[in-house]
Amino acid sequence: MWNKPWTYREGTAIVAGLLVVGAMLQLTVGPIDWNLMAWPVNIIVAMVLTGAVVTGNVMRKRSYMLRFASSRHAAVPVLIVTAVATAIYGVTNMRETLSCWPFVLLYLWMDIIVGLVTCKHLKPSLRNMCITASHAGLFIALTAATLGSADMQRLKMQVNSDQPEWRATDDNDKVHELDLAISLNHFTIDEYPPKLVVIDNETGKTLPTDKPQSLVLEDSVTEGDIMGYHIKTKRLHDYAAQVATKDTINYVAWGYNGATTAALVDVTKGGKTLASGEWVSNGSFMFPYKGLRLNDKHSLVMPEREPKRYASDVTIYTKSGLKENAVIEVNKPYNIEGWKVYQLSYDETMGRWSKTSVLELVKDPWLPCVYTGIGLLIIGAILMFLTAGRKEEDNK
Amino acid sequence: MIHISWDNFLAFALISVALWALGAYCAWRDSRKAALTSTIAGIAVFMAFIVGLWISLERPPLRTMGETRLWYAFFLPVAGLAVYSRWRYKWILSFSTLMSIVFICVNIFKPDIHNKTLMPALQSPWFAPHVIVYMFCYAIMGAATLMAIAALLGDKIKIKGKSFDGSLIQHPVNNLVNIGLAFMTLGMLMGALWAKEAWGHYWAWDPKETWAAATWLLYLAYIHIGNAPQGTIPRKKYYLLIVAFLCLQMCWWGINYLPSAQAGSVHTYSIS
Ligand code: HEM
Repeated sequence: MWNKPWTYREGTAIVAGLLVVGAMLQLTVGPIDWNLMAWPVNIIVAMVLTGAVVTGNVMRKRSYMLRFASSRHAAVPVLIVTAVATAIYGVTNMRETLSCWPFVLLYLWMDIIVGLVTCKHLKPSLRNMCITASHAGLFIALTAATLGSADMQRLKMQVNSDQPEWRATDDNDKVHELDLAISLNHFTIDEYPPKLVVIDNETGKTLPTDKPQSLVLEDSVTEGDIMGYHIKTKRLHDYAAQVATKDTINYVAWGYNGATTAALVDVTKGGKTLASGEWVSNGSFMFPYKGLRLNDKHSLVMPEREPKRYASDVTIYTKSGLKENAVIEVNKPYNIEGWKVYQLSYDETMGRWSKTSVLELVKDPWLPCVYTGIGLLIIGAILMFLTAGRKEEDNK
Repeated sequence: MIHISWDNFLAFALISVALWALGAYCAWRDSRKAALTSTIAGIAVFMAFIVGLWISLERPPLRTMGETRLWYAFFLPVAGLAVYSRWRYKWILSFSTLMSIVFICVNIFKPDIHNKTLMPALQSPWFAPHVIVYMFCYAIMGAATLMAIAALLGDKIKIKGKSFDGSLIQHPVNNLVNIGLAFMTLGMLMGALWAKEAWGHYWAWDPKETWAAATWLLYLAYIHIGNAPQGTIPRKKYYLLIVAFLCLQMCWWGINYLPSAQAGSVHTYSIS
């Protein structure tokens, strides 16, 4: 070993050495506290790292180690070991792994190699552009994402109707006062059509247990079969109120706060009528749900309707005097003054009548950097696809 | 309007498989044009089913395991066709057809719950390209892995009395992995961009993401290993490829059975 030229053996030995050093650091220094990387420490570390890589590339003629570090013999062992370490993390899912020295050193070594390869391949040919874009992209994205994580802020804000809110809480329930305030003008939920399912009276499980079936009450669908029960809906109220008459419970169309969904059904099995003109409803915060007992074993119920889309119509005020109206929904965050405002959830006990909306505010100053890296990686991948066949000819 | 549902699947699948089988047969008989035409026709029929289902579900069929198997069954012949038209391996269409049949059979005999709803986070323009690109990557990696296995088995495979020479396929395998990796990278990055829009962060070290990273690193390791000399079989490299493919399976569906994911992975939708 250590006779030149170095091969995978030496590459593996370096990785093993890193793991040992990492383990020792873990035992002596303890886990890494990423919060220490907060601005401006992270920008300094990023510049030092980049500077070291660039200097390393300049010095490559003089140092065998540096030349080795940008060779496949250094890359493959760290890639495999990092893959294994990552897979172990994937199984255990212990978040402490991310502040574990050996784990972080593996990624750091990989990052340094990638940086050196970037510099080495800065040459104008399609193949070299593919290599440069891929490695530069990975270097930038990995470095920025890791070092920038300490500057990221994720806060939750609960907004209510007509009352501007400027306080938000972090993961540790610490309250932060922000430079912007948000008030909720209106919260809407569109729901999927209601459906009917047959459940087991004892367990409450939807049947058949191995692949639960449901009858989705869409515009045109009024009847169907589940588990041999033939279900026919005679009437469907999207918005209904429950009205108790002398001996039965009835539902009438009613479009106000607290309305529930209700269906009037007939159920038969094998020609025998089990229920005729009975109501089934999923209930709301105002009305209890109503199921239909079919026999000792089974009941017909209407589960809560699944939300299709929910959105908050809000007004956002900033300290700098901006006042903007926005509709925020899942997958459509709103950008304002460095914040991205996301629709997170709502008051689920109130369902579609929720008067509160929970928003998430995210500030990630390093995002442009990370996206630059991702952009380069995308270019690299496309070039890789385009040059895939060529290399074969080059090598012949 | 015609309403395409899973009830029509058997008919479409039978026609497609028949056309693919015919294509595979023509490839063996060296009728290149007929092989290409028949395979493309089969793909078109299968595609028609997917599009029809897409329209009648009012969402891309990409959510349940059954629906993702549909894409796998679709992209295998596409990948097979690409390899056949580029490198003219007679056997590749038979392989891809057989593999596709496996997925079709699973869908016929063990269908999922074909649910109509799609939770809000999945209603994103990134969703379809992300999953489709990944499916294409799976299919290509599947083809590469099969070729590697064939090379490893080597002389145990006899074709018309002649034993199969595994040392000839190193370049095609490498090319497939390169293309597959390009797609994997794109799929992963689209996932990251989508996650940023949907969940507020591009990378959350969620179990599925973590496994995707591990898988990606293994394939990266593969492409970084140098070429073996002409006429030899890079055995260790092919073993790595098989391990990477197993890891990919883990990432695709194994995750759903992992205790760490049950705790609340944002990516395990199909089990409920
Ligand atoms: C975005 C992911 C990556 C892609 C697409 C990529 C792609 C490539 C390609 C196409 C080559 C040229 C290989 C050849 O000519 O045979 C290469 C070389 C190399 N890559 Fe990567 N790579 C990636 C990530 C990495 C990582 C994470 C490392 C570090 C562990 C690494 C280290 C290297 C090294 C050391 C070389 C050899 C450079 C040389 O010999 O001049 N790469 N890479």
